[in-house]
Amino acid sequence: MKSTKTLRVMDTVITHVILVAVCFVFLFPCLWLILASFSKSGSIYSFDGFFPSEYSLDTFKMLFTDTDMYNYPRWFRNTLFIASMSCLIGTFLVILTAYTMSRFQFRGRKTIMKTTLVLGMFPSFMGMIAVYIIMTQFGLINKMWGLILIYSSGAPMGYLTQKGFFDTIPGSIDEAARIDGATNFQVFLKINLPISMPIIVYTALTSFVFPWSDFILPKLLLKEKDLYTVAVGLMSLGETEFARFAAGSVFIAVPIVILYFCLMRFLVDGMTAGAVKG
Amino acid sequence: MRKKGYRLLAGLLCIGLLSGCGGNAGGNDGKGSGGNSAGTDTQNAQTGDGAAADLSNIYTGELERNVTIRVLENDTAIEQGYFQELIDAFNEAYAEYGIVAVDANMDQYSNLADDGPYGYGPDVLYQANDVLMKYVDGKHIYPIPVQNLECYAQIPDRAWEAYRREIDGTTYYMAVPVNVQTSMLYYRKDLLPENWETEWDDNGNGIPDMVESWSAMYRFSKLRMEEKEGQYGYMRSMYDVYFSSSFLFSYGGYVFGNNNTDPSDLGFSAGDSWMGASVLLQQASLMNEGCIDDTITVNAYSKLADGTYFATMTTPDVYTLFLKELILAYQGQGMSEEEARALAEENLVMTKVPMLPASADLTEENPELIPLKTMGGVNGYGISAYTKAPNACLAFVEFATSYDMIMRRCELLGIAPARSDVASQRGGTSEMIYQSLEEGNVVLMPSITEVDQIWTPAQSFFSDLAKDAFREPGERKYDDPDKLKAGLTQVDTQIYDAIFTLSGN
Amino acid sequence: MKKKKMRTEGVSQMFLHGGKNVRASMCLMGLGQLLYGQIGKGLLYLFVLALAVFYFVQRGFADIAGLITLGTKEADTWLGIEGDNSVIMLLMGILSVIAAICLLVCYLSNVKDAYETQKICERGGKPASFREDLKQFLDKKFYKTVLFLPILGVCVFNILPIIFMIAIAFTNYGGTIVPPKLVDWVGGSNFVKLATLSQFSPTFLKILSWNIIWAVLSTALNYFAGLGLALLLNKDCVKGKALWRAFPVLAYAVPGFITLLGFKFMFSYGGPINQIITGMGQKAVGFLDIDAKWIARLIGLLVNAWISVPSIMLLATGLLSNRDASQMESAKIDGANAFQQFRHITLPFVLFSTTPVLISQFIGNFNNFGIFFFLRGGLYIDGYFLASDTDLLINWLYNLSINNNYYSIGATISLVIFVITSLISLSIYTGSASYREEDTFR
Repeated sequence: MKSTKTLRVMDTVITHVILVAVCFVFLFPCLWLILASFSKSGSIYSFDGFFPSEYSLDTFKMLFTDTDMYNYPRWFRNTLFIASMSCLIGTFLVILTAYTMSRFQFRGRKTIMKTTLVLGMFPSFMGMIAVYIIMTQFGLINKMWGLILIYSSGAPMGYLTQKGFFDTIPGSIDEAARIDGATNFQVFLKINLPISMPIIVYTALTSFVFPWSDFILPKLLLKEKDLYTVAVGLMSLGETEFARFAAGSVFIAVPIVILYFCLMRFLVDGMTAGAVKG
Repeated sequence: MRKKGYRLLAGLLCIGLLSGCGGNAGGNDGKGSGGNSAGTDTQNAQTGDGAAADLSNIYTGELERNVTIRVLENDTAIEQGYFQELIDAFNEAYAEYGIVAVDANMDQYSNLADDGPYGYGPDVLYQANDVLMKYVDGKHIYPIPVQNLECYAQIPDRAWEAYRREIDGTTYYMAVPVNVQTSMLYYRKDLLPENWETEWDDNGNGIPDMVESWSAMYRFSKLRMEEKEGQYGYMRSMYDVYFSSSFLFSYGGYVFGNNNTDPSDLGFSAGDSWMGASVLLQQASLMNEGCIDDTITVNAYSKLADGTYFATMTTPDVYTLFLKELILAYQGQGMSEEEARALAEENLVMTKVPMLPASADLTEENPELIPLKTMGGVNGYGISAYTKAPNACLAFVEFATSYDMIMRRCELLGIAPARSDVASQRGGTSEMIYQSLEEGNVVLMPSITEVDQIWTPAQSFFSDLAKDAFREPGERKYDDPDKLKAGLTQVDTQIYDAIFTLSGN
Repeated sequence: MKKKKMRTEGVSQMFLHGGKNVRASMCLMGLGQLLYGQIGKGLLYLFVLALAVFYFVQRGFADIAGLITLGTKEADTWLGIEGDNSVIMLLMGILSVIAAICLLVCYLSNVKDAYETQKICERGGKPASFREDLKQFLDKKFYKTVLFLPILGVCVFNILPIIFMIAIAFTNYGGTIVPPKLVDWVGGSNFVKLATLSQFSPTFLKILSWNIIWAVLSTALNYFAGLGLALLLNKDCVKGKALWRAFPVLAYAVPGFITLLGFKFMFSYGGPINQIITGMGQKAVGFLDIDAKWIARLIGLLVNAWISVPSIMLLATGLLSNRDASQMESAKIDGANAFQQFRHITLPFVLFSTTPVLISQFIGNFNNFGIFFFLRGGLYIDGYFLASDTDLLINWLYNLSINNNYYSIGATISLVIFVITSLISLSIYTGSASYREEDTFR
C-alpha cells in the first residue's frame, strides 16, 4: 500500500516537473516579447542579456496615439472585422461539411475525401497569381469582404479533423431521433451540434487565428494603407521601430488569449465522457 | 526608396519578399493592360501609331481638368511633413484647373506592374531607379519629355543615365531624378583620440586620417579593440551587398557589363576585385561575429550611441535615427534635452567614405590611395502608363522637381539632391554626394530587371567571406587570392545560372 | 448495390425508355418538368439554362477561344494599344470550361430527373411538388444542400488556382515572357528541360530527401509532444488544468511570423543567446549562419514544434474528453496499468480519430514554407542550384518561381512534387483505419 502511495507521489512530482519545464519553454519567448514591448528605449540592443534595463508604458501609448504613419487602432479594427467574419462563416461551413462527410453515405463521397487531401499538397503561393487575378476580375481588390470570402471558402478544406471528431460520436442517437420523425437537418441542429462544442470551439479558434495572423493575402489584396491588417502593418514598420513592433505583436495576442479563456469551459468540459456512450 | 534590393534581402524584413511574392506573382501576370480586365484605368485612348519620339501622342500639352492624381511618395517624406507641403503647394497652384494631387496611400515599395493594369496603381510614383526601370519592359510607365523640363539642365548626365533607355532606336527618359542615395561614413567625433590632431593627421588637413583612409581606420580599430574588450572601431554587416560590393567595384569589379546593361556579362570577379574581397576580410577580422548576419546593421544605431562602435557605413537617410539614439544616450548621462541635442549634432559626423590603399593591404605604411566606389541609386518621379491624366501628372512632376520644392525637400529630409543648383546652395553632405556622383565614384545600381537576381548569390558569398574571419585557421576557405578569385567567380556563375539556365530554350 | 445498378442502367435506359416528357427535357432543359406540371422546378431549370446561354454568348465562347490562343495582340500602353493579357485569358478560359462542365452536369440531372418522375408516374405515383422537392434538400438530400457552398468556394479559390498552375506548367510563362508579352503553349518542353538539366537533379534529390526527413521528424515530434502534453494535463493529479494549459496557448496566440522573427533574432549573432555565450567567455555560435547546416535544421525542428504543439495539444484535449470512460474504468478494474491503458485504449482511439490530423500535419510540414524562409532565408549554398541546405522543396520553388521569375518551371516542379507526395499520402490515408473503418468507435 505504501509503495503505491510513494509511486503516486513520485508520479505527481515528475508530472509537475515536466509541466513546469514545458511551461517555461512556452512562456519564456512570450515573456521576452512582452517585456521588450515595455522597454523604455526603443532599441532591442540596449537590453541586458534577455531583458530591457528600463521599463515604461510609452510604447503602448505611442502605439495608440501616434497614428499618423502607423495607424495601429485602425489596423486592429480591420483585423478584428476580417477575422471574426471569417471565423463565423468558416466555422459554420467546416462543421457542416465535416458532419455531412461523416454521417452521409453518398456517391462521390470517398472521391471528395481523397481529392481534398490531395489538394492540400499543392504549394499555395503558386496559386496566389490565380487568386489575385480572380479577385481583380470580381473587383474585390481593396475590399475586406473579398478577403473574408477567400478565408471562409478555403476553410472547408480543413474538415478532416472535424470529421474525425464526428466519426467518434455514435450514430445510434441519430437513428433514434430519425425514428421519431426528425429530418436530417433537425438531427444535426438539435442533437449533434450541442455535443460537438469542443470541436466547434477548436474550429472557431483556428479559423479565427489564421486570418488574424496571416499577412500574405491581405498584403496581396488590400493595397490601401487604411485597410491594412495588423500583420501587414507590423511588417511595414521601419527598421528601428522595434519596440512598436513588439508592442503591436503583444497586443495582437490579447484577443486570442481572451478568446481562449472564454471558450475554455467548452473546450475542456463541453462534453463529459459519459455523454457519448452512456 | 533606399536600396530596395538590399532591404528585400535583409532577413528581418523578409516580409517584403513574401509580399513581393504575392505582389510580384500577381504583378507579373498583371503586366499590360488586359483587354478584359475589369475597371481598368486605361489611358485616355491615344491611338496614334507613329513612333513616340516626341511623345506628343501621350502628352497633348493640354492639362486635363478636374482630375485627381494619386501620388506614391516615400514614407520619410510623408512622415516629416514634406509631402503634405508639396501637394498643398501644387493644389494651390493648379486650383484653377481643378487638378488635385492626393496621397496614393499605398506601400512605398508597391509594384506598379501588379496594380497598374488593374486600375489600382498610383498616377505618379517616387521610387528608386532599379525599381522604376523594371516597369519599362512592360511599358508600365510613360517616358517623360525631360528636355522640356526646367530641371533638365541642372541635373547631371550621370543621374539621367539611370533613367535612360533606348527602345527601337529612340532614346527615352523614364523618370526625373530627385535624390541620390549612396553610402556615407558615420562616426563619433568625441571618440577620436585626444591627440588626433598631432598623431592621426599626417597630411595636416584638419581631417582625422581614420575617416580619410581605410588603412588608418584599420589601425585605429585595432587600437580600440586592444584598448578595451568589447569595444570596436569600424563596424558594418558584411553580408549586405549594397555596401560590400563597393569594395569590389573599387578594384575593377562591376555588376553587369556594357555599362550595367548586359546581363550575360557578370563582373563580380572582374579585374582585381578579389583585392576588394581581401579588404573586407581584413576589416571583418577586427569586428565581431555580428558582421556575418544583420546584427550590426540593426544595432549600429544604439551601439554607435553608447560608444561601442566608433564608425559605420550606411546611407544618408538614416542620419536622424543615429542622431535620435545619440541624444537619448547623452540624456542618459544626465544632460538636458537641448544640451544633448546640441552635443549630438556636434559629435555625430556623416561624411564621405574613406579612400582605399591601391595594394589592398590595410597594414601597408603610407599606401597609395584610390577612391572607394560606392554603390548608389537615384530616386525619382515616374508617371504611370495607366493614368488618365498624363498632362496633369507631368505638371506635377515638373512642379515637384522645381528648385523650391527640391530645396524644401533637402531642408526637411536631409537628402542629397540630384539638382546641382540645390546641391551647391545646400553645401555639406548634399554637395559631397553630388560631387562623388559627378566624379564617377558612385556606381549606380543597374536599371535592368535582372538586377533582382544578383542579391542572394552575392549576399551568400559576402556572408561566407565574413564567416571566414572567424573560422579556425585550418578551416579557412578564403585564405589566399586564388581562393578569393574562385569564390567571386562562383558568384558570377550562380548569378548567370539564375538568370539564364532555365530561361534559355 | 441497388443504387449502383440503377446508375449503370440509367443513361441508356433514359434514352431507350424515356417518354415524351423525358425527350422534351433532353431538347430543352426544364421543359419535361413543366409538362409534368412541376412549374417551380421547370422554371428553375429554364432559368439556369438562360443564365448559361447568356454567359456563353457574352464571354464564354470568347474565353474558350482565348484559352486556345492565349492572346494574339500584344498590349502597348505608349501607343494606346489595349492588347491581350495571356494570363487572364488562361484563367478565364479555364473558368469557362468549368462552367461548360457544370452546365452539362445540370443538363444530365435535368434529364435524369424527368426520367425518374416518369417512373414514378408509371408506378402510379404523382410527380413531386416543388415544396416536396425542397423538403428533400433538408432531409434525404441534406448533404447536397450543405456541400453546395463549400464545394463552390473550394472550386473557385482552391481548385481553379491549381488547375491554372497545372496549365502554367505547359506554357512558357515566366522570365521575360510575362504580360504584356504573349504567353504560349509549349507542351511538355518544361518537363524535358527539367529532366535534361545537369544542375537540376542533384539539387532536387538532395532537397527531396531532406524534405522527407523533415516532414517525418517534425510531424512525429509535434504530434507526440502535443499528445503527450494533453495526456499529462489530463492526469488526475494535475490541479488547475486551465492555468497550465494557458502557457502553450500563450504561444499559440502569438502570430507565427512574429514568433519566427523573434526566434531568428534570438539565435542571431547579436541575439540574447549569443550574448550569454560570449558573456561566459565562449565563442559566439552561428546557429543559423552559412556553415550551420544541422544546427539550423535542428533549430527549425524545435521552433516548428514550439509553434505547432499547442494546437495539437488543444485538439487532443478535446478528443480525450470524448474518450470512453467506462472502457477505462473496466480496464482499471481488470488491473491494467497506466501504460497498458494508454497502449491499448487511449492510443488506438486517439490515433484513429487523428489520422486525418496526422496526415494534414504531414502535408503542412512537408510544405512548410515559413520556417526556413524566416529563419534562414536569402542564402544559396555551393552544390545546390539556387537553394540552401535547409531549404525545403517549397522554398526552392519560391526561389525559382518568385525570386527568379521562372513561373512555368516552378509550376512544372510543383506538379512533379505534387504527384509524388499525393501518391504517398493517398496510399497512407486510404490504408489507414480511420478511412477504411470509419465507424470503429461508434
